[in-house]
Amino acid sequence: MTSLMDHQARETVGYSFSESTAGVKQHGFYPYTDNGGSTLGITGSDFAILAGDTRSTSGYNINSRMVPKVFKIGGDDETGEGATIVLSVVGFAADGNALKERLDTVVKMYKYQHGKPMSVSACAQRLSTILYQKRFFPYYVHAILAGLDEEGKGALYSYDPVGSYEREQCRAAGAAASLIMPFLDNQVNFKNQYIPGSGEGHALAAKKPEPLPLETVKGLVRDAFTSAVERHIEVGDNLQMVIITKDGIEEVYHPLKKD
Amino acid sequence: MDHFPGTWGRPRNDVYGAYDPSYLQSTGPKTHTTSPAVTGTSVVGVKFNGGVVLATDNLASYGSLARFTDTKRLRVFGNQAVVGFGGDVSDMQYMDRLLESMDIRENYSSHGNMLNAKNLHTYLSKVFYKRRSEFNPLWNHVLVAGFDGEGKPFLSSADLLGTTFSAPHLATGFGAHLAVPILRRLFPEEKPIEEISREDAVDALKQCLKVLFYRDARSLDKYSIAVITKDGIDLKEDEQLEGQSWAFAERIKGYGAQAV
Amino acid sequence: MGSPFDINGGACVAMVGKDCVAIACDLRLGMQALTISNNFPKIFNYAPSTYLGLTGLATDVNTVSDLFRYKVNMYRLREERHISPSDPGQPGQLIVPFICGFDSIGCIDFAKDFIVSGTASDQLFGTCEGLWEPDLGPEDLFETISQALLSAVDRDALSGWGAQVYIIEKDKVTQRLLKGRQD
Repeated sequence: MTSLMDHQARETVGYSFSESTAGVKQHGFYPYTDNGGSTLGITGSDFAILAGDTRSTSGYNINSRMVPKVFKIGGDDETGEGATIVLSVVGFAADGNALKERLDTVVKMYKYQHGKPMSVSACAQRLSTILYQKRFFPYYVHAILAGLDEEGKGALYSYDPVGSYEREQCRAAGAAASLIMPFLDNQVNFKNQYIPGSGEGHALAAKKPEPLPLETVKGLVRDAFTSAVERHIEVGDNLQMVIITKDGIEEVYHPLKKD
Repeated sequence: MDHFPGTWGRPRNDVYGAYDPSYLQSTGPKTHTTSPAVTGTSVVGVKFNGGVVLATDNLASYGSLARFTDTKRLRVFGNQAVVGFGGDVSDMQYMDRLLESMDIRENYSSHGNMLNAKNLHTYLSKVFYKRRSEFNPLWNHVLVAGFDGEGKPFLSSADLLGTTFSAPHLATGFGAHLAVPILRRLFPEEKPIEEISREDAVDALKQCLKVLFYRDARSLDKYSIAVITKDGIDLKEDEQLEGQSWAFAERIKGYGAQAV
Repeated sequence: MGSPFDINGGACVAMVGKDCVAIACDLRLGMQALTISNNFPKIFNYAPSTYLGLTGLATDVNTVSDLFRYKVNMYRLREERHISPSDPGQPGQLIVPFICGFDSIGCIDFAKDFIVSGTASDQLFGTCEGLWEPDLGPEDLFETISQALLSAVDRDALSGWGAQVYIIEKDKVTQRLLKGRQD
């Protein structure tokens, strides 16, 4: 019996090799990963644009050059035909897909139950709720929702991973957000731009932001992404641009650098 | 006679000292599900004109030990889809059982098994995502090959986190580093898959497996390869890598205790 | 405590134009989130048309700028001529626009377009890559570098509080003070 009692004594075993004194060895499971990429949304008076690159990464590996980040929400079939709302997700792609599918289901159910399509503002509030429901195990994504509001104006809502949201004129998200966002401040909201000759000192008048025409916005989106591709390794391959107007949703792809 | 079965088969305390119970975790969360044990290495796959090829080697490692050398890591589902498993082998066998029971269930239905590779991939990625969300992951990275709903060749990946992506050529694990660059050089992305023949695709995968055998220490020169076409699945599970040349090895210098 | 590189905050940028270069910095000096001064220029002049911008830990900005002034003074006394931005061994060399950047352990970046540094470097990369174009004249280059810097520091909590811009041409240097957001 004494030999059994010895178990409690915790003698050190005399191995020839050194023992690690650390506690339990464990290979922790981390349920998130970052799949890189960047997204961007800009609105105009009668349209909204959501764009994203199509590169998927894990670490320094490129998983695929064609994984879209912008999705049509509440369409009638698999292709998203008939949808009026668009969602972009960037961050952890598996969470992004799960979030997209939940919102898609919700918007479809709304249409079946109420016999009318869900408004963007209602969808925006619902998305916030979905994100907040997972407050303590969040969807690790930055979401941007776009569509046309009740007056037909472009509407854009941006979210943090736990559901804080805000309607904005423009927003960049993802890996290259810090590169793109100040460029957008300057070119879309005319931040730091003044009207020449309007006065000295405090009398100098700031240039007022006004809704930009569609072609200008398309140009800005492409410029923003070609710039981001140049300086961020996780951004590249293709640019997916989704344009929402009263006539429906148009989706176009442009090549970006593949290095 | 030692009357205490708990001490049978153990090194004697008076010789080796008492058993160190710190190896047995008695507090804290369950952790045995959060690391793989017996593992398979890379899976490689490529699309070609009219189908998809998928290949793995036949090794299941236990850490650095080459534990099982005839493990079949390509699993056939129905008659037009194949799943290639990398990662934990017991989790692979569990998922294989899931797929088997689903196949049987589908075949008992009036319409038969109509699930294609795309459906299968969706199902598997949701199983992965559900399990990772429960903090009880299935420690695998799989490639699913076959055809989609429109009858076009389909090749897609899913991993333990539920991350999914597809491309004309894919590889998991070490293959993502060593095989993908070879495949991207042989079949550039601007080249349509209609211009890739079955023979070229099979030869490319054999070349990839060879490079992996040269450089991946947890790999084997015995492999399985599956060619999925409209005519069915051609699965070979007992292949041997041919045409190896280890001449390059002589030029490798400067590692370990070697005196250069 | 955070990295020494982002305790005090600050940003700096240089750009190449047609027969001119520009260099600009913000004016903030902080301790983590607390702003200590809004008059801490990070650009130093060492010879006619030779300027050096330094960002990072403020004490090191001071030390390096002083040490460099000492070395440049010794160079001028020994060589009996001013130091030049690029090749130190060629007196009377061709005057061409030249900028370069260094990391903190001395790796040189010879850029043909622009150089950025500081806590707003990500933002500066974005704005410069988006706004800069080749062969800008002195006035256009001033507008470009100013817009790039002001927009970038407005998206960085540790930089801003006004800016200083130098436009360096063959025969003159223009220094301008920009107000910018005060928050």
